[in-house]
Amino acid sequence: MDNTPLTEAVFYILLAVRTPNHGYGIIQEVSEMTKGRVVLGPGTLYGAIQSLLIKKWICLYSEDKESRKKKEYVITPLGKDVFLDEVRRLNELLINAKKLSEEGI
Amino acid sequence: MIKFRIYFDKDEEEKWLKEMSNNGWAFRKFFLGFYYFEACEPGEYNYQIDLLDNWGGDKDEYAAFMEDIGVEVVSQWWRWIYLRKKTADGPFEMYTDAQSKIELYSRIKSFFLILLGVEIMCFFIELKAAISSGYYVYGFFTVLIGLICLVVLRVIWKCKWKIEQLKSEEI
Repeated sequence: MDNTPLTEAVFYILLAVRTPNHGYGIIQEVSEMTKGRVVLGPGTLYGAIQSLLIKKWICLYSEDKESRKKKEYVITPLGKDVFLDEVRRLNELLINAKKLSEEGI
Repeated sequence: MIKFRIYFDKDEEEKWLKEMSNNGWAFRKFFLGFYYFEACEPGEYNYQIDLLDNWGGDKDEYAAFMEDIGVEVVSQWWRWIYLRKKTADGPFEMYTDAQSKIELYSRIKSFFLILLGVEIMCFFIELKAAISSGYYVYGFFTVLIGLICLVVLRVIWKCKWKIEQLKSEEI
């Protein structure tokens, strides 16, 4: 697949928008999931979201201009496919790594 | 307080703005080398400088996004954006992974490459004027523009070096 491997930022952003989420919520959730190891910078997040929107891996969930509500993003079916492909690839890595450790290396 | 400075290197500029904040001066506005500061608690703010990816300098969507996540857009000069966040609200770094840093420095590099092209054109126009007229004033500008070319070249070289560093880290 051309789309994988995903960068860590993209991987966690896709995970954080499995249900609709806004910018600040994405940063918080990714930070919690990784126990503070991955804290997305505002510029990193903005750039990643823009490119994910262009690729149509995520889309705008709500944009209520009247109430100045924060923009929310949600994963698309295409984004889910890409994410699951990546999970399969990562699983393969793990399975192969385990084979090695079984051999006592 | 107003200070006049000329920066070509945004990393140096950021460092200076943080220093000013530590000394109790919060940066508010930039215009053609003039920096306007207001008094603040020492170390109240952290500053970051970003370069928009569009040549029109359209920042509405970008600014709305930043405000939503608690980052204040302080000032804009064409494509350059000055951002700040209160130190009490946690660490502030715009770009946190190798890929987005590479993208940032690539943007800065191509920005200055175009600027360099324009400067080189001006250099030859001034040089031609200096030689054909023999006026010192043209000669002075030729030297000045030549020096700016060198400074811009240094920034481009630094960006190139940073991009290569980041790429080797990524592998």
